[in-house]
Amino acid sequence: MLMQFSYEVKDSYAEVKSVGRLNMVAAPKLRELVAEVVAGGSSRVVVNLAETDFMDSSGLGALIGCLKAARQAGGDLRISGVQPQVKMVLELTNMDRVLTAYSSAEEAFGND
Amino acid sequence: MTEVIARRGFRGLSNEEAIEAIHGELDALWDDASFVPDMDRMTFTTAVIEAAANIVQHALPVAEKPVEIGVDISVRPSRLQARVSAYNAREPFAEDMQPNMPDEDAESGRGLALIEALVTTVTFERQDGTNTWILTRET
Repeated sequence: MLMQFSYEVKDSYAEVKSVGRLNMVAAPKLRELVAEVVAGGSSRVVVNLAETDFMDSSGLGALIGCLKAARQAGGDLRISGVQPQVKMVLELTNMDRVLTAYSSAEEAFGND
Repeated sequence: MTEVIARRGFRGLSNEEAIEAIHGELDALWDDASFVPDMDRMTFTTAVIEAAANIVQHALPVAEKPVEIGVDISVRPSRLQARVSAYNAREPFAEDMQPNMPDEDAESGRGLALIEALVTTVTFERQDGTNTWILTRET
């Protein structure tokens, strides 16, 4: 079975890849993985959603929890590769202003 | 009442597996009803999964029998409708029925507000230990 979440620590950030549905089943696993990444010393996190075709409010809640965890550790959490359904959920909940979307993981922390 | 063009359903224990199974039924439904535009599929799928997840996360059994979840989704020429039911369930708590969007740092509580933004009408019925959300989207 395909691993739904994986991560890679780069020079200035860690990239977390999310594949498939980010729903109430997957949300706790994302929280756990990002907590592990942040505890490991990478508080600048990009969640790459290029292969996430569905997100519900539980998935969104997990991203917000992960954002708070990253900021508490002095970093930030950004998202990249947002697909149409995820974009719709972010806009309808007004969370597109809080979770900044970048076209690629490289670009997310490209200017700071 | 106009003709039902495609219909899919699910009934089983209210748990995480049910959410994945219901999502699978929705995917199969769109294969059966390929004329439904992408935007309608996307919004309706999101609303149905939100309603089902609300049941899995919040519905409590009324007695010894566990809560079961049932979904009946139908496609008509200009209307999508889903009946999402919690069987053997207590009446929902008022605090789980809040349709307002919470503060931006909240990590939960957006489900019902999202459903309301995604569909044309949402109605709730309670009868004989069954809670049913009826979601309708005019296409």
